[in-house]
Amino acid sequence: MFASMLVNGIITGAFYALMALGLTMIFGVLRIVNFAHGEFYMIGGFVYVLLYHNVGLSIPFALPAAVVVGGLLGWLVDKLLMGPIYTDARSMRQGRDEYAIIVTFALSLFLVALMTKLVGPWSLQGPRLADGRPIAIAGVRVSPHQIIALAVTVAFLLASMLLLNHSLWGRQIRAVAQNRFAAAIVGIDVRRVSMLVFAAAGALAALAGAMLSNMISPAPDVGAFPAIKSYVIIVLGGLGSPVGAILGGLLLGIIENLGAFYVSFAYRDTYGLVLLVLVLLLRPNGLFGEIRREV
Amino acid sequence: MARQPSPTRPAAPSSRSQLLVALLVLLALAPLPGLGLGIYWQGVVIMSLYYALLASNWNLLSGYTGLFSLAPAAFGMLGAYVSALLWTYAAVPPLIGIPAGMMVCALVGVLVGFLTLRLTGPYFALTTLALAEILRIVALNSFAITNGENGLRVPTIFDAQSSYYYLFLFLVASMLIGLHWLLGQPCGYYLRAIRNDETGAQAKGVRTVFWKVFAFSVSAGLSGFAGAVVGHYLAVVSPSMGHLMITGLIISMVVLGGMGTLLGPVVGALLINVTSEFLRAAGDLQHIVFPMLVILFARFCKEGVVGRAAMLLRPWMLRRSEGLAKLREARAS
Repeated sequence: MFASMLVNGIITGAFYALMALGLTMIFGVLRIVNFAHGEFYMIGGFVYVLLYHNVGLSIPFALPAAVVVGGLLGWLVDKLLMGPIYTDARSMRQGRDEYAIIVTFALSLFLVALMTKLVGPWSLQGPRLADGRPIAIAGVRVSPHQIIALAVTVAFLLASMLLLNHSLWGRQIRAVAQNRFAAAIVGIDVRRVSMLVFAAAGALAALAGAMLSNMISPAPDVGAFPAIKSYVIIVLGGLGSPVGAILGGLLLGIIENLGAFYVSFAYRDTYGLVLLVLVLLLRPNGLFGEIRREV
Repeated sequence: MARQPSPTRPAAPSSRSQLLVALLVLLALAPLPGLGLGIYWQGVVIMSLYYALLASNWNLLSGYTGLFSLAPAAFGMLGAYVSALLWTYAAVPPLIGIPAGMMVCALVGVLVGFLTLRLTGPYFALTTLALAEILRIVALNSFAITNGENGLRVPTIFDAQSSYYYLFLFLVASMLIGLHWLLGQPCGYYLRAIRNDETGAQAKGVRTVFWKVFAFSVSAGLSGFAGAVVGHYLAVVSPSMGHLMITGLIISMVVLGGMGTLLGPVVGALLINVTSEFLRAAGDLQHIVFPMLVILFARFCKEGVVGRAAMLLRPWMLRRSEGLAKLREARAS
């Protein structure tokens, strides 16, 4: 039983990691928290389910379409709303934080209300990625759907980490995250990097939403909890740390699944808060965060 | 962006004139039930005044101290639940339950503040958001204790709705007078110093962490108080009081009204709650329209309606004060 809880935890955690990775990259590059992240997830789920059920696209087309829509949405958010964070003359920490929190939080509520208006307040269950009976591997029963979902998620996580660590774009992202001014001085287009990061974050969150649409049916307000969990995860892993986001996601997934079994199922969503309190109390910089001072 | 006021020099006129305008607005509302304002619209005004209380609290945090809590509605809900639970399980009367709700919220404010406000960065906003959603989920899922979505029935304090109308007018008025007084005290200056330049304030010897925790716990306590009172007005306390949509409405009220102005949240609350009634009739548009307006205001009109009006009035105010000075000179000579 423990093993199967652990496996379930890892599967859930991989999806959390997908969301948290984008969020932590946005924080690394723009030094802001995107409070509309859960809505990228929600819209990804909806696009996938609607394309599959209403348009009749098959899964191999609907899934990438959802990812592309999520990416476009992220790009648009950066293009239309994040401008003042760069151009505002008094872009001190205070003014920026204020603007970012108000605007992304309002955007989140706006997107929820808009989707409620467009598709209704109901939830729509997504299709399974693969049919078939659960397979027992070393005593742990997993369905083919779960295996494929996990494989795709892990592939995306690995690809993101590879791109981040070894490609030119990834190096630019890391450079901007390390020091924006120095990055601009050596000729990196900071504005383009931030659009890239926002688009990637939107795409990853939309992918998570689409892949989870079979287990957690998309509804307009479905994004709140995955988003809150990714906030906990990025604090747990250390703000701005991609490795921290992935390991933090796995850790939270495992803790939640074990807690749901051994402590209480109804309150499984609250374990994140307990974890958050412990991290803030004992290690505010997170597991993989670095202590940074801004001048 | 050059038209925007610099953060160190508030565009608004002295908060005393704002206090006077706000009190006049409340005074103008007072005779309405006697003049035939129906029960329904009385209820709308009462809820506007409840939101005005929450919005003014939130403004103390965001507009004056620079802290962005995403839990104002959740604290209202928590205060209401404390009083409701005390009534349901210990038959504690509302007059004790309401202060108890306030104390519990203030205490939670101290704890969360102590955890998050030692750190700079987005920790505070993130933790308050997580706290808000989790409080709501606990209230929703603890069916055996809280009756879940259906909520708890609580007794009312008054029989007549107009009594609540006057009670809330009185509460908003005393809250504004209290805030005005607080902002004139040294600690009011500390709070604004923290908002303008936290490092600078610290260098000048302001105990920034202490005052930030203080502001948060005062704001949480007052929200809990307002929530507990409104719970006894609505006669039912349910998790929907703490929904993030409500927090969104409160933020809209402050941003549209004018952050960091005494009058702004009250004007915003009345404006938004009354407009909501019409937008609801037009097909539940209020949750789409207000967030959109918030984004537009944050982008193009950061000072809000009241701040903008104050900027427009400023030349006139200056001329008036110059004229007064000349008059005084003439009298002296």
